[in-house]
Amino acid sequence: MNAPRSTSALLYLSGVTVSFDGFKALNNLSLLVEPGEMRAIIGPNGAGKTTMMDVITGKTRPDEGEVVFDGSADLTKLDEADIATLGIGRKFQKPTVFENHTVRDNLLLALAGIRSWYKLLGAAPTRAENDRLAGILSIIRMEEQQHMLGARLSHGQKQWLEIGMLLAQNPKLLLVDEPVAGMTDVETETTAQVLREVNKNHSVVVVEHDMSFVRALGVKVTVLHEGAMLAEGSLDQVSADPRVVEVYLGR
Amino acid sequence: MITRFLWNGMSRNLRLFVLLVLAIGIALPLLNQLMPRTSPFYVPAYVLQLVGKYLCYAALALAVDLVWGFCGILSLGHAAFFALGGYCMGMYLMRQIGTRGVYGNPVLPDFMVFLNYKELPWFWHGFDSFWFAAPMIVIVPSALALALGWFAFRSRVTGVYLSIITQAMTYALLLAFFRNDMGFGGNNGMTDFKDILGFSVQSDATRGVLCFASALALAIFLVISAAVVGSRFGKALTAVRDAESRMRFLGYRVEGYKLFVFVLSAAMAGIAGALYVPQVGIINPSEFAPGNSIEAVLWVAVGGRGTLIGPVVGAFIVNWAKTYLTGALPEVWLFALGALFILVTLFLPKGVVGLWGQIKARRAQPA
Amino acid sequence: MSLKRLLGRVVGALAILLVAGSAFAADLTTLVANLVTGGYSERDAAITALAASGEERAAPILQALGAGELYVRNADKVVVIAKGSGKQLALTDAVTGKEAGTATEDDLERVKINNRLRGTIESVMGSLTLMNPDPRVRRAAAQALFSRRDPSALEGLDKAIAAEKDNGIKRAMVEARASVVLASDAPADKKVEAIAIVRDRGDRDAMGVLQAAAASPDETVKAAATAAADAVRQSLAAWAGAQNVWYGISLGSVLLLAAIGLAITFGTMGVINMAHGEMVMLGAYTTFVVQQAIRSAAPQLNDFSIVIALPLAFLVSGLVGILIERSIIRFLYGRTLDTLLATWGLSLVLQQAVRSAFGPTNREVASPSWMSGAFKVGQIDVTYGRLWIVIFALAVFAALLLLLRKTPLGLYMRAVTQNRPMASAMGIRTPRVDALTFGLGSGIAGLAGVALSQIDNVSPNLGQGYIIDSFMVVVFGGVGNLFGTLVGATALGVVNKFLEPYAGAVLGKILVLVFIILFIQRRPRGLFALKGRSVE
Repeated sequence: MNAPRSTSALLYLSGVTVSFDGFKALNNLSLLVEPGEMRAIIGPNGAGKTTMMDVITGKTRPDEGEVVFDGSADLTKLDEADIATLGIGRKFQKPTVFENHTVRDNLLLALAGIRSWYKLLGAAPTRAENDRLAGILSIIRMEEQQHMLGARLSHGQKQWLEIGMLLAQNPKLLLVDEPVAGMTDVETETTAQVLREVNKNHSVVVVEHDMSFVRALGVKVTVLHEGAMLAEGSLDQVSADPRVVEVYLGR
Repeated sequence: MITRFLWNGMSRNLRLFVLLVLAIGIALPLLNQLMPRTSPFYVPAYVLQLVGKYLCYAALALAVDLVWGFCGILSLGHAAFFALGGYCMGMYLMRQIGTRGVYGNPVLPDFMVFLNYKELPWFWHGFDSFWFAAPMIVIVPSALALALGWFAFRSRVTGVYLSIITQAMTYALLLAFFRNDMGFGGNNGMTDFKDILGFSVQSDATRGVLCFASALALAIFLVISAAVVGSRFGKALTAVRDAESRMRFLGYRVEGYKLFVFVLSAAMAGIAGALYVPQVGIINPSEFAPGNSIEAVLWVAVGGRGTLIGPVVGAFIVNWAKTYLTGALPEVWLFALGALFILVTLFLPKGVVGLWGQIKARRAQPA
Repeated sequence: MSLKRLLGRVVGALAILLVAGSAFAADLTTLVANLVTGGYSERDAAITALAASGEERAAPILQALGAGELYVRNADKVVVIAKGSGKQLALTDAVTGKEAGTATEDDLERVKINNRLRGTIESVMGSLTLMNPDPRVRRAAAQALFSRRDPSALEGLDKAIAAEKDNGIKRAMVEARASVVLASDAPADKKVEAIAIVRDRGDRDAMGVLQAAAASPDETVKAAATAAADAVRQSLAAWAGAQNVWYGISLGSVLLLAAIGLAITFGTMGVINMAHGEMVMLGAYTTFVVQQAIRSAAPQLNDFSIVIALPLAFLVSGLVGILIERSIIRFLYGRTLDTLLATWGLSLVLQQAVRSAFGPTNREVASPSWMSGAFKVGQIDVTYGRLWIVIFALAVFAALLLLLRKTPLGLYMRAVTQNRPMASAMGIRTPRVDALTFGLGSGIAGLAGVALSQIDNVSPNLGQGYIIDSFMVVVFGGVGNLFGTLVGATALGVVNKFLEPYAGAVLGKILVLVFIILFIQRRPRGLFALKGRSVE
């Protein structure tokens, strides 16, 4: 194992390849995310964005390549629960909250802390936990809905609850998959604010189609194409890149 | 203190329900013993036996519901755990017969003499003592559930695949127990029991005690289930049921949760089976038939999955109908049972208890 | 010697003189007459003489004599063979072999026979039938001599081998000769030669002969026989393995038939149909009904009733399947576990319905003549019934593959499987495709029922025995992959049959179940799993 233990990057992907029945979803992909950074990942459909997320969170095992978190943890050897415990949170494209649980219970389940089943059998929420829940409820502005069931929330409310759950999980790195899909302009603007707020304490990787949202974030952009990195830089830089224009418009 | 904790973990409805179960378990045997036979309040022994049997079925249904209703694991093999518990009890009861068997062999049960066994198989040793058999009733089904669950949950076998595996498990056991050289009596199983803990299994008093014991076991299971389901563990459990992979991404090791309820549920089913055997007086391989497990699932579906009262209610309704119909209109019973499966899944997905809840909600909230 | 017998002899001699028209007939007639006259030792010689004559009629006459069916007709003292029971016996002229009317026992005098004569007949019969014009008889004679190993037959064998034109039969005779040599007191080098011949035959009978030869006092013979016996044992074990493979393929074809419809409903629609076994059962009962109807209406078609039943069984099960899909399953899409429960209920209803209509007992479905009988491939026994089922299973599989790949329905089915909303947006009527897919899966189950009616009891519980196995096959092979189902069925069939000799049928089945339970846990998506994002 020659994992680069000295890397300063929070997330280090090198030469990652994943193929499904001959089709290469990721093709020798490399990516570096520094601590405290917010990164936007864009790319056309099928570029490998979701597969990349799957590899980082342990849902899919890469055929080749290194995935290292926090300088030392080899993510290709760990499963989803391990990786989540290490401090990588993931928000799915489709909001997935627990529909039969209240908003508060959703957050409680996500709250960093006890994960083992036998400890949870006799545990009651501690005061510290209750305080943190109250704090998160106010950040996502859902104090009033805290006893509402997940199933009854509107689409936007579910998105926020999910962000709240990620905050509760308090990960070092947050992976966010298309957070503004299906949102109104106002909601999109609020989401960008929330993410910038979140970025103060957490590193964030955002996958997004919506260019105005990416522009609003104002962060470094990585363009994926056919499972590999095509360009990297500010949004203005990459959108001036003829290869990127080719990929987005040339077909 | 812990009792208080358990008691507080239950809703008011559930507390009343547990008391009702206990009341039945106490009242029926007492009425049987204390009332003269001519009294309209006299409860004949066959009713005790019937209710005792239903109580065991209800406990099995509760066990099925714990994994299916609360964790989304549709086990089609729970009757196997029930039957294993029953076989452990059956082995104890066989050893109690002693020289009173047809062949009068002091050590070997009749079927072994008949099948030319020379000595007791090793796994029969110890079953002459109740205090050895009793823990086995819990250990044997739990161990099977642990082994199966350990492999299945770790390899993420879910949904229908898990259902098929559990069904294959009980089917394999069915075939195995049919074999004479397994040492469990083969096709005929075990029967002709004489006494339990020194009391005749035929006497009304013993029947009464067994009926009460079944009610007590069911009540305890309800309390334990309520505590498990109501805890933070329970919240995580239902979250696993609803969105398993989401829980993984939150850092939960889902296998542990599933395995715990699966084993707990198997242990409950085993105890229910052990109480069932002395009351019906026989245990044979047909208890492993895949149909039995699925029928237990139906009880839960009829009563209301994901509730604690539902499976008990469902087990009583379906089994009462079965007792009535198989007696009065035997050829209609399978039509009725089959139709019930279809109608409940199509029109009553939340069961009788769910329906009750909907009616109450509609009353409380007039349009 | 009784007066009567003396008279018989005289008359017999007269008869010979009377019919001395043709030299051929006269010769045979004399030989036959000698059979029925004289003392036992004379007649013993007559038997050998008749056998040595090479006459075609010799075999039936001696056979009749041995069986006590040779008579002398009182009226004309002609030697006849009388067959039949009851008062009137059908007569055949022993010499000419022509029918000679009937007679009662009183009109005839049975030719007496004792054990010594019987022994002589038996020993000459073998070599006698070796010259029979019917090749089947010659082959059977050689086979009989191989097992009986009568040294006195050596001469006859040599003669027969020299005369034999058919290479296969000649070979059988050479083998028989070798076997006889081993039983005789021939010199050791001849015996060693014979051992090589017997070894090359390589079957169970050869094994017996070699084992007997291994007890020989002569060391060279003993060593050669022991070595040869070992070689045969090994080749027999290999053949037994091949036989097991065939049995396994045969079982696998049954599993394939039962599972392939399930592979469609479960694999492409994600629907668990617990009533699938009952679709099989309906197919079997359709066969029964068709056969009954044909037996009473058009008995000349009896042999084709199961061919006629095929399309009908497909239609019956298919239509019931469509009915089920439209009335129950379509309301439960996305609720897989509920579908499982509802279809289980349905299976109970169907079973009880059939039980009410046809009774709970097994129904007899006869096999057509072209499905009965067996033949040998090397040392493997193959019955026609099983062979047809294997062929049928493969044909159904191929037809299904064609249907899925080459027809519009197949295209729609694959489209709906892969992306339902998209298929719907493209104008495919997804509900209709669902119903047809389910009907197709059920119809194939009906076809399976026709085949199973030939090898299993047709009873209301027929389907139940197959449902768990079928699920195992589909899951083992990999859901949504027809080739996986084919490989899964064959593999499970073969594994099952290989376990059976060691573990017994029941334990073998249990072991297979346990194996699959463990296997699913290693590879939850089966042997040929689909990979990729679409799986979850």
